[in-house]
Amino acid sequence: MRRCLPGSLARRRLPSRSLTTSTAQTSWRIAVQNKNASVNALVYVAPDDAGTISEAVKDNICTKNMPTTCSSAMLRDFTSPFDATVVQLLNDSGATIIGKTNCDEFGMGSLNIHSVHGPVVNPYQHPASAMEWHVRERRSAGGSSGGSAAAVAAGMCDVALATDTGGSVRLPASYCGVVGLKPSYGLISRWGVVSFADSLDCVGIIGKNVASTSRVFDVLSKFDERDPTAARSSTREKAQELSSEQMAEGLSCSRDLTDLHIGIPQEYFPASLDSSIVSPFRRVVHALKTRGATVLPVSLPSTRYALSAYYVIASAEASSNLARYDGVQYGLHGTYALTADAFDNYFLQSQRLRQCIRDDFMRVFRVPNPLAESPARNEAGVHVLLHPSAVCTAPHLDEQDGLDAYTQDVLTVPASLAGLPALSVPIMAGAEGDGWPLGVSIVGQWGCEKMVLAVGAAIEDVELKRESLA
Amino acid sequence: MLARSRTPSLRTHHRLYSTGLTNTVRTFEKGNRWPGWEVVIGIEVHAQIKSRKKLFSHAWTPNLGSTPNSCVSPYDAAFPGTLPRLNPACISLALRTAIALRSDIQHRSAFDRKHYFYSDLPAGYQITQHYHPIARGGHIFLPQSDVSVRIEQIQLEQDTGKSMFDPRRRLLSIDLNRAGMGLMEIVSKPDLRSPEQAGEYVRTLQAVLRTIGASDGNMEQGSLRCDVNVSVNRPGQPPGTRCEIKNLNSVRFMIAAIGSEVYRQIAMLDTGTSVPQETRGFNEDTGETFTLRSKEGAPDYRYMPDPNLPPLFLTSGLISSVQEDMPALPDEIRERLVSHGLTQNEIDVLMAVDSGHEVGFDGRQGRGAVTYFEALLTNDRSSKTVINWIIHELLGQLALRKKVFRENPISLEQMGGLIDMVQSGLVTGSSGKLLLRHMLDNPSPAASTELARRLGLLATREDGLLEQLCVQAIANMPEEADAVRRGVPNVINKLLGRVMKSSKGTTNPQSVRKMLEKLLSPS
Repeated sequence: MRRCLPGSLARRRLPSRSLTTSTAQTSWRIAVQNKNASVNALVYVAPDDAGTISEAVKDNICTKNMPTTCSSAMLRDFTSPFDATVVQLLNDSGATIIGKTNCDEFGMGSLNIHSVHGPVVNPYQHPASAMEWHVRERRSAGGSSGGSAAAVAAGMCDVALATDTGGSVRLPASYCGVVGLKPSYGLISRWGVVSFADSLDCVGIIGKNVASTSRVFDVLSKFDERDPTAARSSTREKAQELSSEQMAEGLSCSRDLTDLHIGIPQEYFPASLDSSIVSPFRRVVHALKTRGATVLPVSLPSTRYALSAYYVIASAEASSNLARYDGVQYGLHGTYALTADAFDNYFLQSQRLRQCIRDDFMRVFRVPNPLAESPARNEAGVHVLLHPSAVCTAPHLDEQDGLDAYTQDVLTVPASLAGLPALSVPIMAGAEGDGWPLGVSIVGQWGCEKMVLAVGAAIEDVELKRESLA
Repeated sequence: MLARSRTPSLRTHHRLYSTGLTNTVRTFEKGNRWPGWEVVIGIEVHAQIKSRKKLFSHAWTPNLGSTPNSCVSPYDAAFPGTLPRLNPACISLALRTAIALRSDIQHRSAFDRKHYFYSDLPAGYQITQHYHPIARGGHIFLPQSDVSVRIEQIQLEQDTGKSMFDPRRRLLSIDLNRAGMGLMEIVSKPDLRSPEQAGEYVRTLQAVLRTIGASDGNMEQGSLRCDVNVSVNRPGQPPGTRCEIKNLNSVRFMIAAIGSEVYRQIAMLDTGTSVPQETRGFNEDTGETFTLRSKEGAPDYRYMPDPNLPPLFLTSGLISSVQEDMPALPDEIRERLVSHGLTQNEIDVLMAVDSGHEVGFDGRQGRGAVTYFEALLTNDRSSKTVINWIIHELLGQLALRKKVFRENPISLEQMGGLIDMVQSGLVTGSSGKLLLRHMLDNPSPAASTELARRLGLLATREDGLLEQLCVQAIANMPEEADAVRRGVPNVINKLLGRVMKSSKGTTNPQSVRKMLEKLLSPS
């Protein structure tokens, strides 16, 4: 099968009338019309458009005027009676929500192939390819927010909302060559976001560039009393204060990075990391040094436990959260980790490992932890960490044998377990690779989004300069 | 962190007992019902918290007559994307309960998810505090049994929905009105020794919960439900294997179920069979218990800390503010009423009014009979007069109209005014009673003096008019008047009756008697 066929459901839901309206055919609508059949990024397209900024919303975020299927047959006909807080905030900001984006079922997956709407096909095409775009190489857009990343990459919208539990924003952003932000846990309301694993779930933002991602983050980062895990205003202010204290030292402008200390975590270069990713990464590090940044190697020794801890916690919470859909039918065929006999050895052990991973991060950061009772200062610490976003470029969709979805998350889950902000920014591929998009991730202290985004903008600037030179 | 290794509270009952952590009141009942056997009982009470809103959602809690599924928010129905939001009123009421039971309030408690799958539990889990309850320990004194019963713990949890099966239509209906209402699970230690003690325990607890407004505690309406653990053993031997009897919905049935269960266990042990640990139900028709599930069949609830609800931290400030707002406990009220000079009988009547529901929803101080009585003890009104008006007139007339005290339309000002008018002779006692009935039948905000005036019930106090009526009576009854003048006793009452009749009861008998005596005096 050469062409990706969107699920029959998805096609049924695309109102044909909207595709033929000629009066105000904005660029995003043309992109949807021309590309969505091939990319399968949008599973529902809104019939009207009025706003200036076009935004798409992942299909596991509730909207009262559009279906919310979570890419699951279980919610095939579900429309929520309410808008998620983030949808309300977007609407209030004057954005046009153009539709709902494809994803892995309930956000569980790393390739966006587990969807009742069919897989998302990465819209990227290598510039040297002689093939027509519609018959381009079929590669994954990443998951679980593949639809959101692909929609932005294909120009169907300016920004897309997504969710990130263990890398679901950063991985597709990296594979599709767009910017993806997973904010600090608790900054953006989860009210109306269908739970996968509540202690890890974050609403994330995927944008064309750092500036548009940052603008939407500012719109969404608000305290919401409907989310019991939302960070209080006082905590936000404290984080802001601690972060800007350190920001003042440098980062005032992306050209001059004097006083910026960047840590390169040694554990983030596993054997599975594609060698062709290392040299572009080195090039970026070098460019940042040239602009004055101090780059230091750091160690996060508990990283090797992250994937195991993540999968125990995420699947335990998921089995609980999914009970409402199928519990009566399937009963206790849920997570082994929660059974009375296994609870201590698996669930509690994973919680302990999660704390070790958190402690690792807290040891290396210069900015004190705003969530700690008495935040300790670490003058020798780094402002942010920098590492490749993914171990490889977008995997081929039709050769799934070699794909191990679990290991796709190895570089992204530590920040999720620690609840830290992480931003994936696209970088240019090196000559030795396959030429597909790559991303680097910037991880910062809790609440240091401004700092993380500023470093992201610096890297974006480095890449722009290089592109214009090339 | 979840202390998973802890054995669930009830399983520790017998262990605690056998290790000698017992208090001094634990004497076994020495009746001859079960000669040679001792009975050990522990009770788990589930009391619905009397809040207007549910434990984790802003849906209204249902009334008795609420239409099914009319008090349900998307959260209660477990809609995707919803999250819990703790209702602070439920916390305050649980704290009142903990204070009343002298339980040790935990500054940190936490919520767990308990998973099981039933159609009236829409999320597939119940949020409960099994492992980290809001309060531990405590005790409650049972005056009749003269026993102090220890409390194991008090925990908050969600109620489930209700499912009703219609066998005729083979249709299972689900009503989610109750789903998500706040419950307090109050777990006793196995300190009870007879079915009657168990009954007194539940009734005493009911009275406490009602007085502090924490729960309506109504077993028939399901706002209080009991699970009972029963075991028997030979004196001097360790406690026997317990069976849990679930879902008992009246004190009477609970007493019957315990009795029947004791006989069943003794019969088994007498024939050399051991009692298997199991969960049992009670058949109200046969009066016998029956197996629901064996210990092996006990489900693994896969408890998990709720990832949405952070631990509940209670500051000392919050606890002391709850303490300050705490309504008086039944014993304290009793003591106060004794100091007002009421008899035990009067106190019993007053405190039993509307089953002691003095406090409104969310702990708001209500207008119960005790509050009403005490608020009337101003203006030099004597407590005797006030209690007589309340018990004999107001409660009597309300009962006659099949109304409960809560429906009493007579305000404190109106009632006070009425009592004062009678005391000062402005209206007669009989007019006062008439006025009270009128106010019950025609509720009005008007002052009682105004109502008395409108109804022409004000006593004829003007001496001129009174004299005129008396002169008239004397003229109409010359023989009787002569007899009075001659000093024949009691004849004056005939004249008095005549005056009362002609004034249609608006005259004060004492004033009339004085006037007649003056007019008929030999001088």
